[in-house]
Amino acid sequence: MKSFITGNHAVAYGVKLCRTPLIAAYPITPQTAIYEKLSEWEASGELKGIMMRTESEHSAMASCIAASLTGVRTFTATSSQGLALMHEMLHFASGCRVPVVMVNVNRLLAAPWGFWADQLDSLSQRDTGWIQLYCENGQEALDSVIQAYRVAEEVFLPAMISLEAFFVSHAMEPVDIPEQDEVDRFLPPLNLPHRFDVERPGFFVPVVPSELYRDYRHLAQQSMESVKEVAQRVDEAFKKQFGRGYGLGEAVMTEDAELVIVTAGSITSTSRVAVKILREKGYRVGLLKIRYFRPFPREWVQQKLRGKKKIAVIDRNFSLGSGGIFGQELKAALVHSQDHPLIFNYIAGIGGVDVTPETIQDMVLDALKRREPVEESIWIKEG
Amino acid sequence: MDNETRPFEFVIPISYGSTEVFETGRWSFQKPESLLGWAPCEEACPAGNPIPESIHLIEEGQFREALETILLENPFPGTCGRVCYHPCEEECHRKKFDEPVSINDLERFTYDATLDYDPEFSSFPTRDARRIAIIGAGPCGLSCAYFLSLLGHRVTLFEMEEEPGGILRWGIPEYRLPKEVLRKEVERILSLGVEMKTGMEVGTSFPFEDLKGFDALFLSPGARGSRSLGVKGEESKRVWKGIEFLRKMNSGKRIKAGGEVIVIGGGNTAMDVARSARRLGCSVLVAYRRTEAEMPSLPEEIVEAKEEGVRFEFLIQPVEIKETKRGKVRVKFQRLKRGSVNGERKFLSIPVEGGDVTFEADRVFTAIGEEVDFSWLPESLIENKFVKPESRLWDNRMVLAGGDAIHQPRRVVDAISSGKRAAILMDIHFRGFKKEEILSGIKKGDKGGLSMASYLRGLKSGQWEEPKKVVPYEDLNPLFFKPKERLRNEILPPEERLKGFMEVRRGFKSEEARISASRCFSCGHCNFCFNCYYFCPEGVVFFEPDGSRRVDLNHCKGCGTCSKVCPRHVIEMRAVL
Repeated sequence: MKSFITGNHAVAYGVKLCRTPLIAAYPITPQTAIYEKLSEWEASGELKGIMMRTESEHSAMASCIAASLTGVRTFTATSSQGLALMHEMLHFASGCRVPVVMVNVNRLLAAPWGFWADQLDSLSQRDTGWIQLYCENGQEALDSVIQAYRVAEEVFLPAMISLEAFFVSHAMEPVDIPEQDEVDRFLPPLNLPHRFDVERPGFFVPVVPSELYRDYRHLAQQSMESVKEVAQRVDEAFKKQFGRGYGLGEAVMTEDAELVIVTAGSITSTSRVAVKILREKGYRVGLLKIRYFRPFPREWVQQKLRGKKKIAVIDRNFSLGSGGIFGQELKAALVHSQDHPLIFNYIAGIGGVDVTPETIQDMVLDALKRREPVEESIWIKEG
Repeated sequence: MDNETRPFEFVIPISYGSTEVFETGRWSFQKPESLLGWAPCEEACPAGNPIPESIHLIEEGQFREALETILLENPFPGTCGRVCYHPCEEECHRKKFDEPVSINDLERFTYDATLDYDPEFSSFPTRDARRIAIIGAGPCGLSCAYFLSLLGHRVTLFEMEEEPGGILRWGIPEYRLPKEVLRKEVERILSLGVEMKTGMEVGTSFPFEDLKGFDALFLSPGARGSRSLGVKGEESKRVWKGIEFLRKMNSGKRIKAGGEVIVIGGGNTAMDVARSARRLGCSVLVAYRRTEAEMPSLPEEIVEAKEEGVRFEFLIQPVEIKETKRGKVRVKFQRLKRGSVNGERKFLSIPVEGGDVTFEADRVFTAIGEEVDFSWLPESLIENKFVKPESRLWDNRMVLAGGDAIHQPRRVVDAISSGKRAAILMDIHFRGFKKEEILSGIKKGDKGGLSMASYLRGLKSGQWEEPKKVVPYEDLNPLFFKPKERLRNEILPPEERLKGFMEVRRGFKSEEARISASRCFSCGHCNFCFNCYYFCPEGVVFFEPDGSRRVDLNHCKGCGTCSKVCPRHVIEMRAVL
């Protein structure tokens, strides 16, 4: 059944459908609507689980980790400063190998203060060992929550789903909310091989010698690598059951493209329009949407961009002293590909600035004109 | 780690060993220390009632244990629970939060709820028991006898009346203190082996010198005389001393009080007289020389007297009493006003020029204060119109005095306090201890009564306790308290009261008592809220089966959480040097 709801509410529906028994969170704009909706359902009895209203995001994540170690599915939602405050616990989550699922609504990081869309908050956490997904719209956010539990629970790594402030979190769209029994069929109850057991007391996070630490890190990396295969398998199963799939990402009209735009998040939707217009004008332009950022789908990207002359990576984020973060990742992924394309990194939409189809068309025309590589990121200042 | 291999342990390290080997307690620079302090209420109680402990037991439904706890410090819970002016409630920290705890009503409840229970007492085993004579079996003498008996001494009580009880027996009317309550509490005292000699008036029945046969004397004769008005016509037969009237009434004698009466005075005796007279069908006018706010009587007494139809005239003073030909008395009063004399800050009642007023009545009761009769005592024991609290007679024999005969407030609880204090002082004296070393540790705060429990602990262990401080409000953590309404004692409606001498206050029912008890902050006393146990992030706080708290100091990092979350300041962090 389709409902006309916001991205935040789509997330809340996803969590409810997954029968998550423990939610620990702290409100923060623009994520609060998720928290509120789940609270409402808790009050009305529709949500069977417990809503822990913790005193901080750090505690919210600590609670999720501990609860997860007792063998239950857990969820939290946060944004920006809240995610930054959680940082220490994010490492604990991946180190403890707990399949916590979190939604992060991408909001700029202070200072200066603001609430607007910017992906730097979640991208700053890229080395914490979390699976990361970026969603284009509310429907994908809802579906990704369901998929993320299955992936996370197979590999024992936590998963973070990001959607941008307001463009996705607050925009209302028709969203198909799956039936409960369908989701139940897709997502079996969580069954951890090991959990806290009062009959056999033990403790997690003991001190380990260097070699053991190294080995655990290596094991975690192997699990993270396996996500690329698991995620595709889960997505295919999802598609089979619900009729929608997203893969590790999506390639749009890339076969004959001279130039491929690379995006993540809501700018993808805008780019779809820009690609259509440019195609009508006779430009051979394609689009590559990155959905999984961690693990980074290197092989998939290499394959999709084989033989392309140019790519234009659009980043709604910026790492001071380096460049757009997706831009860096694309360069790293393609550096060993033969005749890899010229990579132009456009910085657009920082701090929530609107990125229109026209902005994207201008970027494409700019990139098409260029003959030489550009080391620096190119800042778009229109709008 | 354990040898058993589990697949999941390849992805997450788990230890089944104990981390106890890491003595993390060594990192700490401070340690929690149990710090039992005094609650402000028990400091305020002259008798040193163990208020928080007994209230905690009421809350737990352990009414018998609550009674036993109080009886260790005060033999009169049923009486004090009815007649005490409860200074404890004035000082109750809960007063700063919403309303004070119903300490007085709860004390009464411990008596009311345990009527069918007679706790067994065991006196402290004393090899060197002494013989003590106590003169006067009022609340003070009885208390002294009680505590001396508990300390293993042999007591002979001399009482001039036919029954013991003093003011409680002969003064306070039945509607405030049913005689059955007093009888039971006096019996409990006498059952400890006190030799009671009633109808014996020292100096009349036998000479004072005959008391030489005792090892020590305690003088608690009370203030039995009534102060005279000092006005013309006072000797009229229609002018009665209020205290005499009460004595007659409490003797069960039929009294024809007369239709209209004037009561002169504003203390508790005046109120007892006025309200008793109302019950005998009189129309009553109380004449007091100051204002209502300055009346020494308990405020609730005034409220209830008014409800019962007692009328008041303030700022008037009698100047002349005349009998009329129709068998009545006419009292001429001088009107007064409040003012300062010679610019001093002290406000006095000063006569209003030309202001006088006359009231006519069938009878006048005077109740302007009581006096002590010293005629039977050696002069060396008297000082400034009071008996000296401590003297020596006959080869350094200890003579202590207490109650209304010494210079102290003339209240029942103060009488109990001085009797208790004398008993402990005598015991200290007999044992040859140094008083100064002991008193500071057993005294409840700076101004409080003595703690019998602390004294007995010292006797048993030979270790005298360090002085404990009264917990200030600022040291409590009121975040853990919620406002809760103070329950009111059910009171007999005025029309019912006037039908006889039925007790006015009905007392708490069990549920009311437990709710009221749950309002107690238990300042300075652990009441097992277990906050320290629940909040300790290291899990190193333990409660032993006997209720004592233990902290595993080898693993306590000294974070101080337990101290912060203790609502009643029972744990304090001390620096580790």
